[in-house]
Amino acid sequence: MTVAQVIFYLIAALAVGGALGVVLIRSTVYAALFLTLALLAVAGVYILLASEFLALVQVLIYAGAVTVLLLFALMLTRIGDVPETMVGRQWPVAALVSALLAGILIAALTTSNWPGDEDGLITRLPFEDVGDALFRQWAVPFEIASLVLLVALIGAIVLARQEEGE
Amino acid sequence: MEAVSEQIPLEHFLVLSAILFSIGVYGVLTRRNAVLILMSVELMLNAASINMVAFAAYAAPSATIVTGIIFAIFIITVAAAEVGLALAIILNLFRNRQTANVDEVNQLKW
Amino acid sequence: MNMTDAWVLPLLPAAAFVLLALLGPYLPRRGDWIAVGAIFAAFVLALLVAADFTSALADHGAEFAGVANSVPWVEIPGSIEIRLGVHVDAITVTMLIVVSFVAFLVQFYSLGYMKGDSRYGWYYAVISLFAASMLALVLAGNFLLLYFAWELVGLCSYLLIGHYNHLRSAAEAAKKAFITTRIGDVGLLIAIILLWRETGTFDIQEVFAAAEAGAIRTEVLTASVVLLFLGAMGKSAQFPFHVWLPDAMEGPTPVSALIHAATMVVAGVYLVARTLPLFELVAGGPELVLAVGLFTTFLSAFLGLVMTDIKRVIAYSTINSLGLMFVALGVGSPAAAMLYLFTHAFFKALLFLAAGSVIHATERQEVGQLGGLWSKMPVTSATFAIGALSMAGLPFLAGFWAKDEILVALTENRAAFALALLTLPVTAIYMARVFILTFLGAPRDAEAHEHAHESPLTMALPLVALAVLTLVAGFVAFDQVGRALGFPGGIGEVIFAHEPHTFDFDIAVAAGSSVLVAVGLVAGWYAYAARTELPARVSSALRPVHVLLERKYYLDDLYQTVIDRGVLGVSRVIAWFDRNVVNDTAVNGPAETTSLIAYLLRFQQTGRVPNYALAIIVGVVALALVAFSLKT
Repeated sequence: MTVAQVIFYLIAALAVGGALGVVLIRSTVYAALFLTLALLAVAGVYILLASEFLALVQVLIYAGAVTVLLLFALMLTRIGDVPETMVGRQWPVAALVSALLAGILIAALTTSNWPGDEDGLITRLPFEDVGDALFRQWAVPFEIASLVLLVALIGAIVLARQEEGE
Repeated sequence: MEAVSEQIPLEHFLVLSAILFSIGVYGVLTRRNAVLILMSVELMLNAASINMVAFAAYAAPSATIVTGIIFAIFIITVAAAEVGLALAIILNLFRNRQTANVDEVNQLKW
Repeated sequence: MNMTDAWVLPLLPAAAFVLLALLGPYLPRRGDWIAVGAIFAAFVLALLVAADFTSALADHGAEFAGVANSVPWVEIPGSIEIRLGVHVDAITVTMLIVVSFVAFLVQFYSLGYMKGDSRYGWYYAVISLFAASMLALVLAGNFLLLYFAWELVGLCSYLLIGHYNHLRSAAEAAKKAFITTRIGDVGLLIAIILLWRETGTFDIQEVFAAAEAGAIRTEVLTASVVLLFLGAMGKSAQFPFHVWLPDAMEGPTPVSALIHAATMVVAGVYLVARTLPLFELVAGGPELVLAVGLFTTFLSAFLGLVMTDIKRVIAYSTINSLGLMFVALGVGSPAAAMLYLFTHAFFKALLFLAAGSVIHATERQEVGQLGGLWSKMPVTSATFAIGALSMAGLPFLAGFWAKDEILVALTENRAAFALALLTLPVTAIYMARVFILTFLGAPRDAEAHEHAHESPLTMALPLVALAVLTLVAGFVAFDQVGRALGFPGGIGEVIFAHEPHTFDFDIAVAAGSSVLVAVGLVAGWYAYAARTELPARVSSALRPVHVLLERKYYLDDLYQTVIDRGVLGVSRVIAWFDRNVVNDTAVNGPAETTSLIAYLLRFQQTGRVPNYALAIIVGVVALALVAFSLKT
């Protein structure tokens, strides 16, 4: 077992563990924290895949902003004070279905023939190329993405504001 | 770090992604709190992202696949926007119904 | 007026019907003059057609079979061709004159009789429609047209019997008439269809030709002939379908005179006379006709002895006469039958109209409330007497010659001859009875007698006209008279199916029948005028027989029981089936099942998002499974 493999399994375990924590833990705030753990682990995976910039972005936005946002929502709705008292009624079926889903996905993924590098080597992509592509081929989606953010911003304000006078 | 690719085949990353996705599905179906459901959705999105980046990384060098990484960036962007909006909706719901338990929001019942 | 244009005849009263039906209430006097005028015009035209026919007869000789004139109406190439057209021959001409003349007299009479009736206009409309249909019936050249007119005639009869629609009994009688004749009509329709299937044509002459050429299978021909006769039996009130005719007296008396004496009821006789060639081709055909006619005439003769309603007595005498006509047809003598039909129309209509005169004057129909009207209503009494005597068969009156012809034709068949002879005195007795009880003796109801007055001119004139005809019409049977009228060789030679028939006058038969008639009349006089207590003693002595006759052989009761038990019983079963199986199960079933399924399905809408999400994921997994299994 080489170092790389150990690191991979470690990070994978962290990710899976964090995910399981999100879905199984009773306390809502703890679940949010486990989400943070999972997201950080995913950042680690990105590093393994030679996309350091992506890992940075992941940490900044996901693990940083999104988790904080979620925690804020939990705080504002006072839900965080009350732990979940019951599990969803359909958890047996849900467990079965997700297991099936996992099974099929894994079966499909492992048995398919993925065309790629014959040597199985990871291509290390210089991030300058990504930036280049972002502002050349992908300029329009980029602009649209910023528009999406704008709309989301406005929408969130509209939805969440109080009525005048309240 | 070219040596990494010899030791960790592509399938490992794909399987990891699949497992994370399924766990996210379970969370969506089981959790009672709306915010926690949102968290499970985030898990699913991340799993998809890993998939994209893995494919991008293991592609043939002659075909430099930037798309996967771009995809991942966009996923993160849209996910962030979505979380913001969803939380606004949940706040509204909480204000109206004093509850964020999705089991109790069943006005469209038969 | 050319024979080929005879199709105009039915159109005149038909036009009168349309006018009266649509515009009746707005016309002066409700348009009765239109109706009377139309039928009079039809009568005149009928005379012209007859003249044309006789001249054609003179030109072509005795073998002249008549002309046909038709236009195609509905044509489906390869299968059906229906034509509209007329066929004029000797029988047609006879019927045309009888129908149009009697219809005219009756409509004229109705001017007085129906005056003041609340449905005056409609009465004239329907009676015009009837005249049109009857004329069309006798003119019809093909079976389909004949059936058309046959049904129309039945409809008019129904409408007119039920004319006094505030009376329950009238409605019931109309229903009874229609339903009873319907049974026969179904037979007629089946016969027509059977013949069409075998020969491919509806035209009567063509069917005859095909039958004689042997193109129709024996079974089919036999069946059609029997069914055809069934239709004739229904319309002409032969046993066991005669029950509707006495009840039909609920209608106004002119209607009884026209429809149930002179014209509609003889439609059956006409039909058999017309299709006699077919009957003769079937083994036992004529015998069937003879048997039914004989049975009917014999049975009905006795019923006239106990009935107390004048109109009913005359109705039974009509059944008697109709049976006799069928007897004549059954022995293969259509000439005798047509002669009797011709003369019978006159004296039977006379009897009915005279009875109507009595009813109009006294507002009574039961002989128990009449009597002694001779002094108050001389014209009516005299004409009634003439009609009654003619019916009985007094020598030299019209009825005598006609009955004589029939008896002569029967001489070969001993049993039939004997039975027919037996009916003669019985007929004489009951005709005498009804005359004596109504017009002679002391009045039984003083108030009725007070009211009695002679009828107005509109009613009296037709009576006199018919009485005159009754006196002289019989002589038309003689060759000399016939030739004078333009029928070479007398009518007998003309009204035939195959062989010419000359008028036979057998002194022995005539004398014998005259003696029997005289005996009957004397007996009647004795029983009802001289020794008036005699009838009562006889009826109490023969009480069971009297009851049997009064109850009309219990036939009506039998029919009612069959309907109550049989028909209604079966219909109850069918109704149960329809209600429970067809309606509840077959119709309501799917509806209720759908409701049930919908009710069960709605529990799927829990309103809870996680359930919906689960549904989505399950769907995705299922699809993935399918895709995956297909891939491998």
